[in-house]
Amino acid sequence: MDLTTFLQALITGILMAGIYALVGIGLTLIFGVVRIVNFAHGEFVMLGMYITFWLWKLWGLDPYLALLVTMPVMFCFGVLVQRFLLQPILRAPDLAQIFMTVGLGVILSNAALLGFTADFRSVKIAYAEWVWRLGGVSVPVTRLFAFLGALLLAGLLTLFLRKTDMGKALRAVAQDREVSMLLGVNPERMYLLAVGLGAALAGAAGGLIVPFFYVFPTVGAIFGLIAFVVVILGTLGSVEGAMLAALIVGVAESLGILFAGADLGLVVVFAILVVALVFRPSGLMGAR
Amino acid sequence: MRAALTPERYVPAGTLLFLLVLPFLLPNPFYVHIVVMMFTFVILGGAWNILSGYAGQLSLGHAAFFGTGAYVSMLLVNHYGTSPWITLWIGGFAALLLSLPVGFICFRLQGPYFTIATIGLAETLRLLVLHFREITNGAQGLTVPFKGNSPWQMQFDSKLPYYYIALVLAIAVLWITRCMEGVRLGHYLVAIGQNQEAAEALGINSAQAKRRALALSAFLTGVGGVFYAQYTYVIHPDSAFGLGHSIQIAMVAIMGGVGTVLGPALGAIIMEFFIQSTQIVFAGQYPGLELMVYGGLLVAVILWRPRGVFPWFDRLYRGLIARLPSPGRAA
Repeated sequence: MDLTTFLQALITGILMAGIYALVGIGLTLIFGVVRIVNFAHGEFVMLGMYITFWLWKLWGLDPYLALLVTMPVMFCFGVLVQRFLLQPILRAPDLAQIFMTVGLGVILSNAALLGFTADFRSVKIAYAEWVWRLGGVSVPVTRLFAFLGALLLAGLLTLFLRKTDMGKALRAVAQDREVSMLLGVNPERMYLLAVGLGAALAGAAGGLIVPFFYVFPTVGAIFGLIAFVVVILGTLGSVEGAMLAALIVGVAESLGILFAGADLGLVVVFAILVVALVFRPSGLMGAR
Repeated sequence: MRAALTPERYVPAGTLLFLLVLPFLLPNPFYVHIVVMMFTFVILGGAWNILSGYAGQLSLGHAAFFGTGAYVSMLLVNHYGTSPWITLWIGGFAALLLSLPVGFICFRLQGPYFTIATIGLAETLRLLVLHFREITNGAQGLTVPFKGNSPWQMQFDSKLPYYYIALVLAIAVLWITRCMEGVRLGHYLVAIGQNQEAAEALGINSAQAKRRALALSAFLTGVGGVFYAQYTYVIHPDSAFGLGHSIQIAMVAIMGGVGTVLGPALGAIIMEFFIQSTQIVFAGQYPGLELMVYGGLLVAVILWRPRGVFPWFDRLYRGLIARLPSPGRAA
């Protein structure tokens, strides 16, 4: 194995990590604020992919411009999910909280199967094959755009959480619900905002990968699983942790594919999860 | 004095008798097949219920134990000609062995962490089975060649013997659950399921109790996997180890009522009846429809009937018992 192959895998991993971070941040944001793990998060990514695909297929809309539609639509979808499915079970036992979103995921992936068939679909765009050469390493521009887009959105979210009153209110609810209420924050509105944002980020991640990833009804399962690993490794509820963990997961997967074989990339990721759970169950950012 | 012929005795006895003659009442083998699938899900949902229903450790990775049982059995049968009557036990123990490290790792975790770890377990096994295709035949899966009517190989021309095997296994799982309710382990698990900290404060060794529940649950699920593989003659990585399968196992128990002996049985009846009738009505023209509506049913149950259909069934059953005559007592 030469250095170029290794660098190629490393860069592929880093670029994909941007997408994993975006999916993971959405999941960790929902958990941090609402205290519910969204087991349908991968299916949210799948919805974002299909919306982007159909906008391109029906109206020829560029996948990156489609983000302007996908994100608001997914935001509204997230708000509806919170209002009608999660709000009623906020104080319910674990069983209800876990299987509510599991059930939602089953509904969404099978609705996609019913509505769009099991066909693998992809968009055809002029720049799909463009490659940026960097020494011996080739970087597909679509993957680079996905990474930059993810970075931009993650940056905007961080700014929103730190600089705006609404973002600060959101963080206050995540830290201490009772105290935030004393300060005049309406937590239920923040729940709607958190799930809406989480869904919009998942949808954006879906839209960003459509130029180089097949769209099919069960595609969400892959991203859902990776998002779980990202948020557990990065400590549930921590945005910075999710970004760091996404980098580890993306690179580990890519190097796993390089050294162990194409079908074992995810096994390496799960192995990391197991090691993390044994030695540091509360994640990289958690208190020991 | 002879035992009184009370409804509490003759209704269950009558139900058992009905189940024994049921295959002869059904118009064709397809209906027998549906009931065999119901029994299979009683086995699997009942096994899940022991760990997740009673002890509250919600697993979404039970397909791992199912697939382990099925694959271990299939490989032994195909390579060494071992009788499935023996692999039924070996497959169960293989699943139990797998559960030991899982218990060690996962029971440090609670709530959704545990659930996610179990998903990771089943998914890892699925990927490994796909990868080592020299042994597992990869995505094509394994099949048992049909050798004609040979009871020792658990192969029969008719569906009837399978029906009775499944019936015995399903009743065994429910019977074990019921016995467990009566012994110390059962009480420990219920206490842990309600409040682990409080249970530990009372001196219950929660880690040990959970490991035992997991081992029992894994063993029974593995046995279910062996039976399923022998009954259908074929097993695939996706259908055996897939997340969808784990979800379906859990759904059966939730729909029926977690933490009750008969819940998984009720859930299995509802699910199979529902899925099969949707398939008959729409003739499979709309792939995904059955599971989509079934997922909707799960969401509805969680929203409006979080304890499943069991409480409703329980009331109906008690009403029936109270109304029925009791000839023994009258005499």
